[in-house]
Amino acid sequence: MRPWARLLTACALVILAAAPVIGYLKLGSRLGSQTVTLRWRNFPVRYFVTDRGVDGVTAQQFQTAVTRAIGTWHAVETATTSSQFVGFTQAQPGGDDDMTVIGYQSRPAQNRTLAATSFFIDTTDGRILESDIFFNTVFPWSTSESGTTGRFDVESIAVHELGHLLGLSHSALGETELISGGRRVLAAESVMFPIAFAAGNIDDRSLKADDIAGISDIYGTPAFTRGFGSISGRVTKNGQGVIGAHIVAFNPATGRMVGGFSLSEDGSFVIAGLEPGPHVLRAEPLDDGDIESFFDDSLDVDLDFNVKFYERAVVVPRGGGTRNVEIRVTPK
Amino acid sequence: MRLVALSASFVLLAAASAFAQAARLSGQAPRAGSWEIGGGVVYIQGFDMGDQSADLTRPGNDTLELFTTSSELKSVVGFQGRLGFYFSPQLSVEGGVRYAKPKLSIRITGDFENAPNETAEETLSQYLFDGSVLWHFGQSATGGGVVPFVMGGAGYLRELHDAQELVETGVEYHAGAGVKIWFGSGGQRFGIRAEGGISVRDGGFDFEDKTRYTPVAAGSLIYLF
Repeated sequence: MRPWARLLTACALVILAAAPVIGYLKLGSRLGSQTVTLRWRNFPVRYFVTDRGVDGVTAQQFQTAVTRAIGTWHAVETATTSSQFVGFTQAQPGGDDDMTVIGYQSRPAQNRTLAATSFFIDTTDGRILESDIFFNTVFPWSTSESGTTGRFDVESIAVHELGHLLGLSHSALGETELISGGRRVLAAESVMFPIAFAAGNIDDRSLKADDIAGISDIYGTPAFTRGFGSISGRVTKNGQGVIGAHIVAFNPATGRMVGGFSLSEDGSFVIAGLEPGPHVLRAEPLDDGDIESFFDDSLDVDLDFNVKFYERAVVVPRGGGTRNVEIRVTPK
Repeated sequence: MRLVALSASFVLLAAASAFAQAARLSGQAPRAGSWEIGGGVVYIQGFDMGDQSADLTRPGNDTLELFTTSSELKSVVGFQGRLGFYFSPQLSVEGGVRYAKPKLSIRITGDFENAPNETAEETLSQYLFDGSVLWHFGQSATGGGVVPFVMGGAGYLRELHDAQELVETGVEYHAGAGVKIWFGSGGQRFGIRAEGGISVRDGGFDFEDKTRYTPVAAGSLIYLF
Protein backbone atom coordinates (compact mmCIF):
# COMPACT_ATOMS: atom_id res chain seq x y z
CA MET A 1 0.00 0.00 0.00
CA ARG A 2 1.39 3.36 -0.94
CA PRO A 3 2.01 5.60 2.07
CA TRP A 4 0.66 8.64 0.30
CA ALA A 5 -2.45 9.72 -1.49
CA ARG A 6 -3.66 12.66 -3.56
CA LEU A 7 -4.86 15.20 -1.09
CA LEU A 8 -6.27 18.43 -2.46
CA THR A 9 -5.98 21.37 -4.73
CA ALA A 10 -5.19 24.87 -3.58
CA CYS A 11 -8.68 26.18 -4.17
CA ALA A 12 -10.27 23.60 -1.90
CA LEU A 13 -8.05 23.70 1.09
CA VAL A 14 -7.94 21.79 4.30
CA ILE A 15 -7.05 23.79 7.34
CA LEU A 16 -5.49 22.99 10.67
CA ALA A 17 -8.38 22.99 13.06
CA ALA A 18 -7.61 20.61 15.88
CA ALA A 19 -4.98 22.06 18.19
CA PRO A 20 -4.58 25.77 17.55
CA VAL A 21 -0.84 25.83 17.85
CA ILE A 22 -0.42 28.05 14.85
CA GLY A 23 -2.00 31.30 13.82
CA TYR A 24 -1.36 31.59 10.18
CA LEU A 25 -3.59 29.59 7.89
CA LYS A 26 -1.39 26.79 6.71
CA LEU A 27 -2.27 23.79 4.65
CA GLY A 28 -2.93 20.76 6.76
CA SER A 29 -4.31 17.30 6.70
CA ARG A 30 -6.26 15.34 9.26
CA LEU A 31 -4.66 12.07 10.22
CA GLY A 32 -7.25 10.39 12.43
CA SER A 33 -7.68 12.76 15.33
CA GLN A 34 -4.39 14.49 14.56
CA THR A 35 -3.77 17.36 12.19
CA VAL A 36 -0.44 17.78 10.52
CA THR A 37 1.03 20.72 8.68
CA LEU A 38 1.82 20.15 5.04
CA ARG A 39 5.43 21.02 4.46
CA TRP A 40 8.47 20.07 2.50
CA ARG A 41 11.01 18.18 4.55
CA ASN A 42 13.71 18.07 1.92
CA PHE A 43 15.17 21.08 0.16
CA PRO A 44 15.79 22.13 -2.52
CA VAL A 45 12.37 21.58 -4.02
CA ARG A 46 13.19 20.22 -7.48
CA TYR A 47 10.71 21.43 -10.07
CA PHE A 48 10.12 21.09 -13.81
CA VAL A 49 8.44 23.57 -16.13
CA THR A 50 6.33 22.42 -19.06
CA ASP A 51 7.81 23.15 -22.43
CA ARG A 52 4.61 24.81 -23.55
CA GLY A 53 4.17 28.50 -24.20
CA VAL A 54 1.03 30.48 -24.87
CA ASP A 55 0.18 33.58 -26.83
CA GLY A 56 2.55 36.29 -25.59
CA VAL A 57 4.60 34.06 -23.29
CA THR A 58 7.18 31.52 -24.38
CA ALA A 59 8.08 28.53 -22.24
CA GLN A 60 11.43 30.20 -21.49
CA GLN A 61 9.76 33.45 -20.41
CA PHE A 62 7.34 31.48 -18.28
CA GLN A 63 10.16 29.59 -16.58
CA THR A 64 12.08 32.81 -15.90
CA ALA A 65 9.02 34.38 -14.28
CA VAL A 66 8.39 31.29 -12.16
CA THR A 67 12.01 31.19 -11.03
CA ARG A 68 11.81 34.85 -10.01
CA ALA A 69 8.57 34.16 -8.14
CA ILE A 70 9.95 31.27 -6.11
CA GLY A 71 13.07 33.33 -5.47
CA THR A 72 10.81 35.88 -3.82
CA TRP A 73 9.83 33.26 -1.22
CA HIS A 74 13.41 32.07 -0.80
CA ALA A 75 14.49 35.65 -0.09
CA VAL A 76 12.49 35.78 3.14
CA GLU A 77 15.23 36.15 5.73
CA THR A 78 13.29 34.56 8.55
CA ALA A 79 12.53 31.34 6.66
CA THR A 80 14.70 28.67 5.11
CA THR A 81 13.51 27.36 1.74
CA SER A 82 15.22 26.61 -1.53
CA SER A 83 14.45 25.17 -4.91
CA GLN A 84 16.09 23.99 -8.08
CA PHE A 85 14.81 24.24 -11.64
CA VAL A 86 15.53 20.81 -13.12
CA GLY A 87 14.49 21.43 -16.70
CA PHE A 88 11.67 21.60 -19.21
CA THR A 89 9.33 18.66 -19.51
CA GLN A 90 6.45 17.39 -21.54
CA ALA A 91 4.84 16.03 -18.40
CA GLN A 92 1.65 17.75 -17.37
CA PRO A 93 0.82 19.39 -14.04
CA GLY A 94 -1.44 17.19 -11.95
CA GLY A 95 0.12 13.93 -13.05
CA ASP A 96 0.99 11.20 -10.60
CA ASP A 97 4.61 11.02 -11.72
CA ASP A 98 6.86 11.92 -8.76
CA MET A 99 7.68 15.20 -10.51
CA THR A 100 6.82 18.70 -9.37
CA VAL A 101 5.60 20.29 -12.58
CA ILE A 102 4.61 23.89 -13.20
CA GLY A 103 3.07 24.88 -16.48
CA TYR A 104 0.16 25.79 -18.68
CA GLN A 105 -2.91 23.68 -19.11
CA SER A 106 -6.19 24.33 -20.82
CA ARG A 107 -9.02 24.01 -18.30
CA PRO A 108 -11.99 25.74 -19.93
CA ALA A 109 -14.37 24.24 -17.39
CA GLN A 110 -12.56 26.17 -14.67
CA ASN A 111 -13.15 29.52 -16.27
CA ARG A 112 -12.80 31.43 -13.00
CA THR A 113 -9.62 29.75 -11.89
CA LEU A 114 -6.43 31.44 -13.04
CA ALA A 115 -4.17 28.79 -11.56
CA ALA A 116 -4.21 26.08 -8.93
CA THR A 117 -1.85 23.92 -6.95
CA SER A 118 -2.19 20.23 -6.14
CA PHE A 119 -0.20 17.94 -3.87
CA PHE A 120 0.81 14.44 -3.13
CA ILE A 121 1.66 14.01 0.52
CA ASP A 122 2.89 11.35 2.86
CA THR A 123 -0.22 10.76 4.93
CA THR A 124 1.79 9.67 7.95
CA ASP A 125 3.48 12.98 8.60
CA GLY A 126 2.17 15.59 6.15
CA ARG A 127 5.39 15.70 4.19
CA ILE A 128 4.87 17.06 0.68
CA LEU A 129 6.19 14.60 -1.89
CA GLU A 130 5.10 16.31 -5.07
CA SER A 131 3.21 19.47 -5.94
CA ASP A 132 2.04 20.66 -9.32
CA ILE A 133 0.79 24.05 -10.47
CA PHE A 134 -1.25 24.69 -13.58
CA PHE A 135 -1.82 28.07 -15.17
CA ASN A 136 -5.08 28.15 -17.08
CA THR A 137 -4.63 28.96 -20.79
CA VAL A 138 -8.22 30.19 -20.86
CA PHE A 139 -6.79 33.52 -19.68
CA PRO A 140 -4.34 35.85 -21.43
CA TRP A 141 -0.88 35.97 -19.82
CA SER A 142 2.10 38.27 -19.76
CA THR A 143 5.64 38.32 -18.41
CA SER A 144 6.23 41.97 -19.24
CA GLU A 145 8.34 43.76 -16.65
CA SER A 146 5.70 46.39 -15.96
CA GLY A 147 2.65 44.25 -16.69
CA THR A 148 0.41 44.31 -19.72
CA THR A 149 -3.08 45.74 -19.67
CA GLY A 150 -5.64 43.00 -20.13
CA ARG A 151 -3.18 40.18 -19.40
CA PHE A 152 -2.50 38.43 -16.11
CA ASP A 153 1.02 38.65 -14.80
CA VAL A 154 2.66 35.23 -14.63
CA GLU A 155 5.05 36.25 -11.87
CA SER A 156 2.33 37.66 -9.59
CA ILE A 157 0.13 34.60 -9.94
CA ALA A 158 3.15 32.34 -9.56
CA VAL A 159 4.10 33.99 -6.27
CA HIS A 160 0.61 33.15 -4.98
CA GLU A 161 0.63 29.55 -6.22
CA LEU A 162 4.16 28.93 -5.03
CA GLY A 163 3.00 30.06 -1.60
CA HIS A 164 0.56 27.16 -1.77
CA LEU A 165 3.27 24.86 -3.06
CA LEU A 166 5.32 25.69 0.02
CA GLY A 167 2.39 24.96 2.34
CA LEU A 168 0.45 28.17 2.79
CA SER A 169 -3.28 28.43 2.46
CA HIS A 170 -5.29 31.56 1.72
CA SER A 171 -5.18 34.77 3.69
CA ALA A 172 -8.25 36.88 4.35
CA LEU A 173 -6.39 40.19 4.53
CA GLY A 174 -8.36 42.00 1.89
CA GLU A 175 -11.58 43.76 1.05
CA THR A 176 -13.90 42.86 -1.81
CA GLU A 177 -17.16 43.99 -3.29
CA LEU A 178 -19.86 41.94 -4.89
CA ILE A 179 -20.32 42.44 -8.60
CA SER A 180 -22.39 40.54 -11.09
CA GLY A 181 -20.87 37.13 -11.48
CA GLY A 182 -18.65 37.19 -8.42
CA ARG A 183 -16.47 39.32 -6.23
CA ARG A 184 -13.99 42.02 -7.14
CA VAL A 185 -11.03 42.66 -4.92
CA LEU A 186 -10.80 46.27 -3.76
CA ALA A 187 -7.57 45.92 -1.84
CA ALA A 188 -5.46 43.22 -0.23
CA GLU A 189 -2.41 43.04 1.98
CA SER A 190 -1.29 39.51 1.25
CA VAL A 191 -0.33 37.77 -1.96
CA MET A 192 -2.19 34.78 -0.54
CA PHE A 193 -5.55 36.55 -0.75
CA PRO A 194 -7.72 34.17 -2.79
CA ILE A 195 -8.94 36.68 -5.35
CA ALA A 196 -6.43 38.13 -7.80
CA PHE A 197 -6.14 41.76 -8.74
CA ALA A 198 -7.34 42.66 -12.21
CA ALA A 199 -5.39 41.70 -15.31
CA GLY A 200 -2.34 43.89 -15.85
CA ASN A 201 -1.63 44.35 -12.14
CA ILE A 202 1.78 43.33 -10.78
CA ASP A 203 1.37 44.23 -7.09
CA ASP A 204 1.46 40.60 -6.01
CA ARG A 205 5.06 40.16 -7.08
CA SER A 206 6.05 41.39 -3.60
CA LEU A 207 5.33 39.62 -0.34
CA LYS A 208 3.55 41.38 2.49
CA ALA A 209 4.03 41.02 6.25
CA ASP A 210 1.24 38.44 6.39
CA ASP A 211 2.95 36.23 3.78
CA ILE A 212 6.33 36.53 5.46
CA ALA A 213 4.85 35.61 8.84
CA GLY A 214 3.15 32.60 7.27
CA ILE A 215 6.16 31.15 5.48
CA SER A 216 8.35 31.85 8.52
CA ASP A 217 5.87 30.03 10.71
CA ILE A 218 6.42 26.88 8.65
CA TYR A 219 10.11 27.13 7.82
CA GLY A 220 11.31 29.64 10.40
CA THR A 221 14.98 30.17 11.13
CA PRO A 222 16.27 30.02 14.72
CA ALA A 223 16.41 33.82 14.62
CA PHE A 224 12.71 33.90 13.77
CA THR A 225 11.87 31.61 16.67
CA ARG A 226 13.90 33.76 19.04
CA GLY A 227 12.92 37.14 17.69
CA PHE A 228 9.20 36.93 16.96
CA GLY A 229 6.17 36.01 19.04
CA SER A 230 2.51 35.14 18.97
CA ILE A 231 -0.87 36.07 20.36
CA SER A 232 -3.43 33.44 21.24
CA GLY A 233 -6.90 33.55 22.66
CA ARG A 234 -10.55 33.13 21.80
CA VAL A 235 -13.26 34.93 19.90
CA THR A 236 -16.58 34.55 21.71
CA LYS A 237 -20.15 35.62 21.19
CA ASN A 238 -22.61 35.38 24.08
CA GLY A 239 -20.08 33.22 25.87
CA GLN A 240 -19.74 30.71 23.03
CA GLY A 241 -16.79 30.27 20.72
CA VAL A 242 -16.98 31.79 17.25
CA ILE A 243 -15.72 29.57 14.45
CA GLY A 244 -14.08 31.10 11.41
CA ALA A 245 -13.56 34.63 12.70
CA HIS A 246 -10.74 36.47 10.97
CA ILE A 247 -8.45 38.19 13.46
CA VAL A 248 -5.89 40.76 12.39
CA ALA A 249 -2.96 41.75 14.56
CA PHE A 250 -1.79 45.27 13.68
CA ASN A 251 1.48 46.73 14.84
CA PRO A 252 0.97 50.49 15.41
CA ALA A 253 4.73 51.02 15.29
CA THR A 254 5.30 49.57 11.82
CA GLY A 255 1.84 49.39 10.26
CA ARG A 256 2.32 45.69 9.54
CA MET A 257 -0.64 43.34 9.69
CA VAL A 258 -0.78 39.59 10.15
CA GLY A 259 -4.01 37.64 10.08
CA GLY A 260 -5.27 34.46 11.64
CA PHE A 261 -8.49 32.54 12.14
CA SER A 262 -10.44 31.04 15.00
CA LEU A 263 -10.55 27.43 13.93
CA SER A 264 -12.18 25.42 16.66
CA GLU A 265 -15.51 25.30 18.43
CA ASP A 266 -14.27 27.23 21.42
CA GLY A 267 -13.19 30.08 19.12
CA SER A 268 -9.48 29.59 19.73
CA PHE A 269 -6.99 31.38 17.56
CA VAL A 270 -3.25 31.87 17.39
CA ILE A 271 -1.47 34.47 15.31
CA ALA A 272 2.22 33.72 14.96
CA GLY A 273 5.14 35.52 13.38
CA LEU A 274 4.49 38.85 15.10
CA GLU A 275 7.07 41.48 15.85
CA PRO A 276 7.64 42.10 19.58
CA GLY A 277 5.66 44.99 21.00
CA PRO A 278 2.08 46.19 21.42
CA HIS A 279 -0.50 45.17 18.84
CA VAL A 280 -4.09 46.11 18.10
CA LEU A 281 -6.46 43.19 17.46
CA ARG A 282 -9.45 43.35 15.13
CA ALA A 283 -11.97 40.52 14.70
CA GLU A 284 -14.25 40.37 11.68
CA PRO A 285 -16.55 37.86 10.01
CA LEU A 286 -15.11 36.12 6.99
CA ASP A 287 -17.30 37.93 4.49
CA ASP A 288 -14.78 39.02 1.86
CA GLY A 289 -14.53 35.78 -0.03
CA ASP A 290 -16.14 32.41 -0.49
CA ILE A 291 -15.82 30.39 2.69
CA GLU A 292 -14.65 27.46 0.59
CA SER A 293 -11.65 29.56 -0.39
CA PHE A 294 -10.37 29.25 3.15
CA PHE A 295 -11.81 26.17 4.85
CA ASP A 296 -13.27 22.83 3.98
CA ASP A 297 -17.02 22.56 4.27
CA SER A 298 -16.85 20.71 7.59
CA LEU A 299 -16.30 23.98 9.40
CA ASP A 300 -19.49 25.74 10.45
CA VAL A 301 -18.28 29.30 9.96
CA ASP A 302 -20.13 32.01 11.88
CA LEU A 303 -20.66 35.20 9.90
CA ASP A 304 -23.23 36.74 12.24
CA PHE A 305 -21.22 39.19 14.28
CA ASN A 306 -20.01 42.76 14.12
CA VAL A 307 -16.45 43.84 13.48
CA LYS A 308 -14.77 44.51 16.82
CA PHE A 309 -11.48 45.87 18.11
CA TYR A 310 -10.09 44.30 21.25
CA GLU A 311 -10.18 46.82 24.07
CA ARG A 312 -6.60 46.31 25.18
CA ALA A 313 -3.28 46.64 23.43
CA VAL A 314 -1.73 43.17 23.38
CA VAL A 315 2.02 42.98 23.88
CA VAL A 316 3.89 40.33 21.94
CA PRO A 317 6.98 39.07 23.77
CA ARG A 318 10.18 38.27 21.93
CA GLY A 319 10.35 34.52 21.32
CA GLY A 320 7.17 33.76 23.24
CA GLY A 321 3.44 34.17 23.25
CA THR A 322 0.73 36.20 24.92
CA ARG A 323 -2.21 33.99 25.81
CA ASN A 324 -5.77 34.17 27.05
CA VAL A 325 -6.93 37.12 24.99
CA GLU A 326 -10.71 37.03 24.69
CA ILE A 327 -12.39 39.13 22.02
CA ARG A 328 -16.10 39.35 22.76
CA VAL A 329 -18.10 40.10 19.64
CA THR A 330 -21.79 40.88 19.38
CA PRO A 331 -24.38 39.47 16.97
CA LYS A 332 -25.40 41.65 14.05
CA MET B 1 -4.60 66.22 34.63
CA ARG B 2 -6.27 66.72 37.99
CA LEU B 3 -3.92 64.50 39.97
CA VAL B 4 -0.92 66.28 38.59
CA ALA B 5 -2.40 69.69 39.28
CA LEU B 6 -3.13 68.71 42.86
CA SER B 7 0.35 67.35 43.38
CA ALA B 8 1.92 70.45 41.96
CA SER B 9 -0.26 72.68 44.13
CA PHE B 10 0.72 70.72 47.18
CA VAL B 11 4.39 71.16 46.46
CA LEU B 12 4.00 74.87 45.82
CA LEU B 13 1.91 75.48 48.94
CA ALA B 14 4.31 73.51 51.06
CA ALA B 15 7.20 75.40 49.56
CA ALA B 16 5.57 78.80 50.17
CA SER B 17 4.73 77.97 53.75
CA ALA B 18 8.13 76.56 54.45
CA PHE B 19 9.81 79.47 52.76
CA ALA B 20 8.45 81.89 55.38
CA GLN B 21 9.63 79.67 58.19
CA ALA B 22 12.92 78.73 56.66
CA ALA B 23 13.76 82.31 55.89
CA ARG B 24 14.00 82.86 59.64
CA LEU B 25 16.27 79.88 60.02
CA SER B 26 19.82 80.20 59.05
CA GLY B 27 21.57 76.98 59.74
CA GLN B 28 24.79 75.22 59.18
CA ALA B 29 25.46 74.46 55.54
CA PRO B 30 25.90 70.86 54.49
CA ARG B 31 29.60 70.19 54.76
CA ALA B 32 31.86 67.97 52.74
CA GLY B 33 30.93 64.47 53.71
CA SER B 34 27.26 65.21 54.45
CA TRP B 35 24.64 62.90 53.03
CA GLU B 36 21.17 63.71 51.85
CA ILE B 37 18.38 61.21 51.39
CA GLY B 38 14.97 61.94 49.99
CA GLY B 39 11.84 60.57 48.44
CA GLY B 40 8.74 61.94 46.83
CA VAL B 41 6.56 62.17 43.80
CA VAL B 42 7.51 62.99 40.25
CA TYR B 43 5.37 64.11 37.35
CA ILE B 44 6.50 62.96 33.92
CA GLN B 45 4.83 64.48 30.91
CA GLY B 46 3.74 62.06 28.22
CA PHE B 47 4.34 62.31 24.52
CA ASP B 48 2.57 61.64 21.28
CA MET B 49 3.79 58.58 19.40
CA GLY B 50 2.23 59.38 16.07
CA ASP B 51 -0.44 58.04 13.78
CA GLN B 52 -0.37 54.87 11.75
CA SER B 53 -2.83 53.53 9.23
CA ALA B 54 -3.64 49.91 8.54
CA ASP B 55 -3.28 50.05 4.77
CA LEU B 56 -4.35 47.47 2.26
CA THR B 57 -2.78 47.68 -1.18
CA ARG B 58 -5.09 48.88 -3.92
CA PRO B 59 -4.28 48.50 -7.59
CA GLY B 60 -2.33 51.43 -9.00
CA ASN B 61 -0.05 52.41 -6.13
CA ASP B 62 -3.03 53.33 -4.00
CA THR B 63 -4.07 52.17 -0.56
CA LEU B 64 -7.29 51.43 1.26
CA GLU B 65 -7.24 52.49 4.90
CA LEU B 66 -8.72 49.67 6.97
CA PHE B 67 -8.45 51.84 10.10
CA THR B 68 -6.04 54.29 11.70
CA THR B 69 -4.38 54.52 15.09
CA SER B 70 -3.12 57.47 17.12
CA SER B 71 -0.79 56.50 19.92
CA GLU B 72 0.29 58.33 23.02
CA LEU B 73 2.27 57.58 26.15
CA LYS B 74 0.21 59.35 28.79
CA SER B 75 1.54 61.69 31.45
CA VAL B 76 2.00 60.01 34.78
CA VAL B 77 2.84 60.67 38.42
CA GLY B 78 5.42 58.30 39.82
CA PHE B 79 7.73 58.00 42.78
CA GLN B 80 11.40 58.64 43.27
CA GLY B 81 14.06 58.12 45.89
CA ARG B 82 17.49 59.76 45.95
CA LEU B 83 20.69 59.56 47.94
CA GLY B 84 23.22 62.40 47.70
CA PHE B 85 26.71 63.08 48.93
CA TYR B 86 28.21 66.53 49.43
CA PHE B 87 31.76 67.22 48.32
CA SER B 88 31.40 70.82 49.48
CA PRO B 89 28.52 73.05 50.58
CA GLN B 90 27.94 73.84 46.92
CA LEU B 91 28.68 70.57 45.15
CA SER B 92 26.98 67.26 45.60
CA VAL B 93 26.34 64.13 43.59
CA GLU B 94 23.40 61.85 43.94
CA GLY B 95 21.96 58.66 42.63
CA GLY B 96 18.32 57.89 42.36
CA VAL B 97 15.64 55.55 41.21
CA ARG B 98 12.33 56.56 39.71
CA TYR B 99 9.30 54.36 39.24
CA ALA B 100 6.15 55.14 37.29
CA LYS B 101 3.39 53.28 35.48
CA PRO B 102 2.54 55.29 32.36
CA LYS B 103 -0.27 54.15 30.11
CA LEU B 104 0.11 53.51 26.41
CA SER B 105 -3.09 54.64 24.75
CA ILE B 106 -3.89 53.67 21.15
CA ARG B 107 -6.95 55.38 19.72
CA ILE B 108 -8.44 53.36 16.84
CA THR B 109 -10.74 55.17 14.45
CA GLY B 110 -12.12 55.20 10.92
CA ASP B 111 -12.77 51.51 10.44
CA PHE B 112 -13.58 50.66 6.83
CA GLU B 113 -16.35 48.33 7.98
CA ASN B 114 -17.68 50.70 10.63
CA ALA B 115 -16.38 48.97 13.72
CA PRO B 116 -16.91 51.26 16.73
CA ASN B 117 -13.93 53.41 17.64
CA GLU B 118 -11.89 51.97 20.47
CA THR B 119 -9.05 53.00 22.73
CA ALA B 120 -6.72 50.11 23.42
CA GLU B 121 -4.53 50.63 26.44
CA GLU B 122 -1.61 48.99 28.12
CA THR B 123 0.30 49.91 31.27
CA LEU B 124 4.07 49.96 31.39
CA SER B 125 6.32 49.70 34.41
CA GLN B 126 8.99 52.34 33.98
CA TYR B 127 12.20 52.42 36.00
CA LEU B 128 14.91 55.05 35.79
CA PHE B 129 18.24 54.59 37.56
CA ASP B 130 20.17 57.83 37.33
CA GLY B 131 23.03 59.85 38.62
CA SER B 132 23.22 63.65 38.92
CA VAL B 133 25.57 66.43 39.82
CA LEU B 134 24.08 69.34 41.77
CA TRP B 135 25.40 72.85 42.33
CA HIS B 136 23.86 74.79 45.18
CA PHE B 137 23.71 78.59 45.28
CA GLY B 138 23.80 80.94 48.18
CA GLN B 139 24.94 78.23 50.53
CA SER B 140 27.55 80.04 52.54
CA ALA B 141 29.55 78.63 55.36
CA THR B 142 26.77 79.57 57.72
CA GLY B 143 24.26 77.80 55.59
CA GLY B 144 20.89 78.98 54.44
CA GLY B 145 17.33 77.88 54.80
CA VAL B 146 16.42 78.32 51.16
CA VAL B 147 18.87 76.86 48.72
CA PRO B 148 18.38 77.05 44.98
CA PHE B 149 20.27 74.56 42.90
CA VAL B 150 20.83 73.40 39.34
CA MET B 151 21.44 69.86 38.35
CA GLY B 152 22.24 67.61 35.43
CA GLY B 153 22.86 63.95 34.88
CA ALA B 154 22.10 60.77 33.04
CA GLY B 155 20.40 57.49 33.67
CA TYR B 156 19.42 54.06 32.49
CA LEU B 157 15.79 53.65 31.47
CA ARG B 158 14.11 50.27 31.75
CA GLU B 159 10.51 49.74 30.72
CA LEU B 160 8.51 46.56 31.05
CA HIS B 161 5.28 45.88 29.27
CA ASP B 162 2.12 44.59 30.94
CA ALA B 163 3.00 40.95 31.52
CA GLN B 164 6.64 41.91 32.06
CA GLU B 165 7.65 39.59 29.24
CA LEU B 166 9.03 42.34 27.05
CA VAL B 167 11.68 44.76 28.25
CA GLU B 168 12.81 47.88 26.44
CA THR B 169 15.76 49.93 27.59
CA GLY B 170 17.29 53.29 26.81
CA VAL B 171 19.35 56.12 28.16
CA GLU B 172 18.08 59.28 29.78
CA TYR B 173 19.71 62.67 30.22
CA HIS B 174 18.27 65.39 32.37
CA ALA B 175 18.86 68.96 33.39
CA GLY B 176 16.90 71.13 35.73
CA ALA B 177 16.73 73.50 38.61
CA GLY B 178 15.01 73.60 41.94
CA VAL B 179 15.05 74.70 45.50
CA LYS B 180 15.68 73.00 48.82
CA ILE B 181 14.10 74.40 51.92
CA TRP B 182 15.66 73.22 55.15
CA PHE B 183 13.90 73.13 58.49
CA GLY B 184 16.24 73.63 61.40
CA SER B 185 19.89 74.43 61.49
CA GLY B 186 21.74 71.37 62.67
CA GLY B 187 23.86 68.93 60.80
CA GLN B 188 20.88 66.62 60.74
CA ARG B 189 17.64 68.12 59.56
CA PHE B 190 14.62 67.68 57.37
CA GLY B 191 13.66 69.72 54.40
CA ILE B 192 11.66 69.70 51.25
CA ARG B 193 12.83 69.89 47.73
CA ALA B 194 11.02 71.01 44.59
CA GLU B 195 12.50 70.84 41.12
CA GLY B 196 11.65 70.92 37.49
CA GLY B 197 13.47 70.25 34.29
CA ILE B 198 13.74 68.44 31.03
CA SER B 199 14.27 64.75 30.66
CA VAL B 200 15.71 63.63 27.35
CA ARG B 201 15.14 59.97 26.58
CA ASP B 202 16.75 57.99 23.81
CA GLY B 203 15.46 54.47 23.51
CA GLY B 204 13.00 52.77 25.78
CA PHE B 205 9.52 52.14 24.53
CA ASP B 206 8.59 54.28 21.57
CA PHE B 207 6.78 53.54 18.31
CA GLU B 208 8.81 56.14 16.46
CA ASP B 209 12.31 55.66 17.89
CA LYS B 210 12.74 59.38 18.36
CA THR B 211 14.68 61.27 20.99
CA ARG B 212 12.02 62.62 23.34
CA TYR B 213 12.21 65.80 25.40
CA THR B 214 9.73 65.61 28.25
CA PRO B 215 9.19 68.07 31.09
CA VAL B 216 9.40 66.60 34.57
CA ALA B 217 8.64 68.06 37.97
CA ALA B 218 9.18 66.58 41.38
CA GLY B 219 8.61 67.27 45.04
CA SER B 220 10.41 65.38 47.80
CA LEU B 221 10.89 65.21 51.51
CA ILE B 222 14.63 65.26 52.24
CA TYR B 223 16.83 64.57 55.22
CA LEU B 224 20.40 65.76 55.74
CA PHE B 225 22.81 63.82 57.89
